[in-house]
Amino acid sequence: MAILNITYNGLSVDYKANVADNMRDPDIRRTAVELIRSGQLRGLHIAHLPEDAFRDYVVDRLPTAGGARIYLRPKVPFGS
Amino acid sequence: MRVVICGVGALGSAVAMACRNLDVSLRLVDFDRVESKNLRSQAFVKQSVGKNKAQALKMQLQNFYGVKVEAKGVRLAAGNVAELLGGAGLVLDCFDNAASRQLICDYVREHATPCLHGALSADGTYGMVRWDVAFTPDAEDAPGQPTCENGDHLPFIGIVSSVLARTVSEFVQDGAQLNAMVSLSGVQRS
Repeated sequence: MAILNITYNGLSVDYKANVADNMRDPDIRRTAVELIRSGQLRGLHIAHLPEDAFRDYVVDRLPTAGGARIYLRPKVPFGS
Repeated sequence: MRVVICGVGALGSAVAMACRNLDVSLRLVDFDRVESKNLRSQAFVKQSVGKNKAQALKMQLQNFYGVKVEAKGVRLAAGNVAELLGGAGLVLDCFDNAASRQLICDYVREHATPCLHGALSADGTYGMVRWDVAFTPDAEDAPGQPTCENGDHLPFIGIVSSVLARTVSEFVQDGAQLNAMVSLSGVQRS
């Protein structure tokens, strides 16, 4: 199991219930849309979030001291 | 310890400024020149417009703070990556394109050189500070995608570059390697 963190529109929220750590990327994107539409993520409730809101987002899977984490985040191509 | 900062644009120039008190030898790498529009989001001053970014930042650090750094005003490429990154105790990747970031990744992985990546989203709402072991370069959504040049994202760039500089400082002091995710909600370190 893993903790799912979703960042959208500059806000980053952990989904408190664990998700399967082998969940496929498209399923993670679909789940994120449903969670945000349904208001299950504190501070991140958009009832009419488009189905493809996370189309260009990246799924990262990282082991951390607190257990496995899955991050759904915007691309970060820039720095310089 | 030598710290090589690759790319001294929005993130890199601010990080270099914030690392000026560290007991390290700084090397700045950037082929680009300072343009007027860069003054809105990067740590350059009006007198630096037209100069190479690495050279300009070197002069600013020397003239304003008495800090001596090394400047390499060239484009990092396969033919010079060993020369530019060789001897580094830490490589700090602040480039703005996946190809150059990958070049750094290939070199540091082959030579077991510690490497920290700093990266920003195009809309200036999300930043990443991540050590190389967990890093994969992201491509732009489209070539030439607009980025942080108009200055709107300057405060957020300041936050991400500060987290980067703090992470560099912790590594220099005791070898700590913490990742961080920066959003408008705050900073999450792990």
